[in-house]
Amino acid sequence: MTPRPPRPGRSDRLRPLNLPQPAEVELDGQGRPTAVNSIQPPNGGTAEQREKGYGQERRAVESILEIWRVDDEWWRQPISRWYAEVVLEGGMHVTLYEDLMTGDWYIQRP
Amino acid sequence: MVGKRTARDGKGPPITYRPLPPAISPFHLGRDSGEVGTTELSSEHAVCLWISLFAIRCEVQRQPELHGQEVALLSNDDTRRIWETSPQARRAGVRPGMSVSQAVGLCPQIKLREPDPVYYDEQFSNLILALGDVSPVIEPAELGRVFIGVDGLEGLHGSPEEQVNAVAAAVKGGHMTVAGNKHPYHSLPSFTTMDRPVWSSWEGIRLGWARGRFVAGVAATKAKRGAVTIVPDTERAGFLASQPVEVLPIDLDTSRRLRQLGITTLGALVRLPAVALVSQFGKEGHHLWLLASGETVDPVVGHETPEPIVAAIDFPTPVTDRAMLLHALDRLIERALRHPKRSGWRVLQVGVHGRQEHGTSWKVHVNLKCPSADRNHIAAPLKTRLEQAPPTTAVENLAVEFTAFVRGTDELQLFARDAASSARAGRRRALRAAVREIKNRFRYCSLCQVVEVHPQSRLPERRYALIDYDP
Repeated sequence: MTPRPPRPGRSDRLRPLNLPQPAEVELDGQGRPTAVNSIQPPNGGTAEQREKGYGQERRAVESILEIWRVDDEWWRQPISRWYAEVVLEGGMHVTLYEDLMTGDWYIQRP
Repeated sequence: MVGKRTARDGKGPPITYRPLPPAISPFHLGRDSGEVGTTELSSEHAVCLWISLFAIRCEVQRQPELHGQEVALLSNDDTRRIWETSPQARRAGVRPGMSVSQAVGLCPQIKLREPDPVYYDEQFSNLILALGDVSPVIEPAELGRVFIGVDGLEGLHGSPEEQVNAVAAAVKGGHMTVAGNKHPYHSLPSFTTMDRPVWSSWEGIRLGWARGRFVAGVAATKAKRGAVTIVPDTERAGFLASQPVEVLPIDLDTSRRLRQLGITTLGALVRLPAVALVSQFGKEGHHLWLLASGETVDPVVGHETPEPIVAAIDFPTPVTDRAMLLHALDRLIERALRHPKRSGWRVLQVGVHGRQEHGTSWKVHVNLKCPSADRNHIAAPLKTRLEQAPPTTAVENLAVEFTAFVRGTDELQLFARDAASSARAGRRRALRAAVREIKNRFRYCSLCQVVEVHPQSRLPERRYALIDYDP
């Protein structure tokens, strides 16, 4: 068998981890998340993630642990985010944030 | 002829003390290990002390209700597996490495216990300290097996029989007969006669005396419980020839291959030309041939105990503040622990000295119950003593001194913290081997390592990143 040639360009370099994924979030009257739709982790997620709720159509927010806002890097690409660390139905622990510049919601691990 | 006698009898005529001629150095100053301040001592003639089932014995001694019962200790790394079993459990068919469910299936009345490696290691460290009274060349091999270099000890202890008796006496914690006098064993710093080590009352300790570490080890395994096997130099080849190939330091695969080739004893192995073994097993084959033929003598290699390590500080102005003294104590312990001579050793005794105003002084000395290389562990008893008996006036100078040590983790791998670190080291080794295999097969390795980038970042995606893993 001919050995596979080495992959080009695989030098030591940092690759991002825990990148936020787009999500649809339902809000209550005060703008707080009540449910998350279409949670799709990269590559479908692990079996444990699927069991806990990743890949499900809709998961209600059971509790909100913490809320904070980040306004940063105004000198280059401004970042303005409204974060909520929540526990979803089934026990999944995630961080949701709204990009206040675009109005889009994202989900990622805490 | 292979001489055998019991280790317990200790009988025989009184030994006449013969001082060593000054021109003869009893031990070879061996190669330097490369570590600062750790010169190795080596000895060709060795006594192997083997206490089988050391951990189980420790447990039974601590929990007498387990005596005579089917007992098994769980593995430290995987609590679903059996690590060590008592002879009764072994008779019921329970073997190390079995799963717990298998063991319970074979022996429903089996008593399973979580291992306590700290305790076992502490006992083994005490044993090594006790043996230090017989010879300065001590090389622990594994829990319960230790080699003692005896080159040059004939002047002190006498014949090989008397040398092994001295070792047995040290283990039993009794009295050693030297020059016709009785020397109380409790002069050792590790324990007193009121606090005898658990192994001092154990029966079934095996001892082997021979030239070379390997032969001494084989001799100990061939000794009956509580007995000694002495292999005179002239009988080494004959003794080895009758031993099964399993006594060689080989893995199961190599052992199986040798058996498939019809080689069951070391004698059969030696009858083959060395080149044939090299062609079958490579470099290891040559080493095995040398061991089996007795042509190589692997010495016992001990390490010289480091000199006391001192770290001191002069205060610019005399200090009375307790908090500042405690802080300085922490820093000094940290500094002393970082000393290169401390590498590979755990601290057993530590002292703190303070020079006070008006020329007075203050001193605290502590024997650690459990040897340690951990700052907090060492500092805790000192801080208690500092609270109980603080300096009477302001302190101008503070010094921390480590005065006694026991071997560290590289040789005693069952110390709990060490067990965790050796497990980590084992995992790293396994990972490196796996990476090598993947690279050999695919020419590249797609394993990645998680590294901290900005762990405190408010943006979760910036805290960690992946980087190619290439050990």
